[in-house]
Amino acid sequence: MRISLVSFSVLLGVLSLPAEANPALLSHYQQQALQENPGFSGFSAARGKLLYSRQSSASGKTMSCTSCHTADPRQPGKTPAFRELAPLAPSVTPTRFTDLKKVEKWFRRNCDDVYQRSCTAQEKGDFVSWILSVK
Amino acid sequence: MHHWQKILMMAALMLSGSLYADDDHEGDHHRQPNHTRVKAPAAWQAECGSCHMAYPPGMLPPAAWKKHMDTLRQHYGSNATLDAADEKAIRDFLQLASSENRQPVPTSKPGEPPRITDTRWFQHQHDEIAPAIWKRKSVGSAANCMACHHGAAQGDFDEDSVRIPR
Repeated sequence: MRISLVSFSVLLGVLSLPAEANPALLSHYQQQALQENPGFSGFSAARGKLLYSRQSSASGKTMSCTSCHTADPRQPGKTPAFRELAPLAPSVTPTRFTDLKKVEKWFRRNCDDVYQRSCTAQEKGDFVSWILSVK
Repeated sequence: MHHWQKILMMAALMLSGSLYADDDHEGDHHRQPNHTRVKAPAAWQAECGSCHMAYPPGMLPPAAWKKHMDTLRQHYGSNATLDAADEKAIRDFLQLASSENRQPVPTSKPGEPPRITDTRWFQHQHDEIAPAIWKRKSVGSAANCMACHHGAAQGDFDEDSVRIPR
């Protein structure tokens, strides 16, 4: 029963996404989150927002997602290696979060850079829920 | 001139074009390996150009690029790992496109693969740049080619178009 409720709420979430975003992203992470944790109870955009700005010193220097993507994901960012980054928010850069393979690549690299570990499916789903909601 | 003569001449000019531009005319030792005729796979620009500009493959010798490709998990403080297909395509391209670079491999340490800026060629090319210039906020570091070479990301390092920012 819980699973079907979760599926229903995720479905509602998917229906309200902007047309450009890949609706398979959240269902992909939902399936994974359920495997990681049978008690999974849905994604939280609020937790995703916290993850974005959470400071970590795991790498030896204090950093967060905002170090490159800036505190406002609607603004362009910049890497320490001088590359300008298109804004992370898909409301500004519609190609963001459309390709699961690309999204997974950047979670793999960036979670490792900032937290020195992999992010969980729960964290990824929370984050995607939030970033898709940023207008 | 006959039409066929023009064609012959153009062909001769194309064949005589050097693989490497030589922008200081001081002989082979410091030849500038900016350009390559080896066609880059799409993954090279997309992957190597996502956190920094895609540095021209001729700027390091093949053994240095191998070190880069073998240590992408720890790439100057970042995880730069690739999927297997892109990794292979980029690895093969770098080996082929850098094959004429015979410079010694710059020293490196774990997490810091050989740097272009540590090659004799780079240091010779930039020996007139005072240390304070590299530290300017507008420059950032020697890794920021585009600060002075505005066409660098497109492979244009022409000395005549260099503008050093204040």
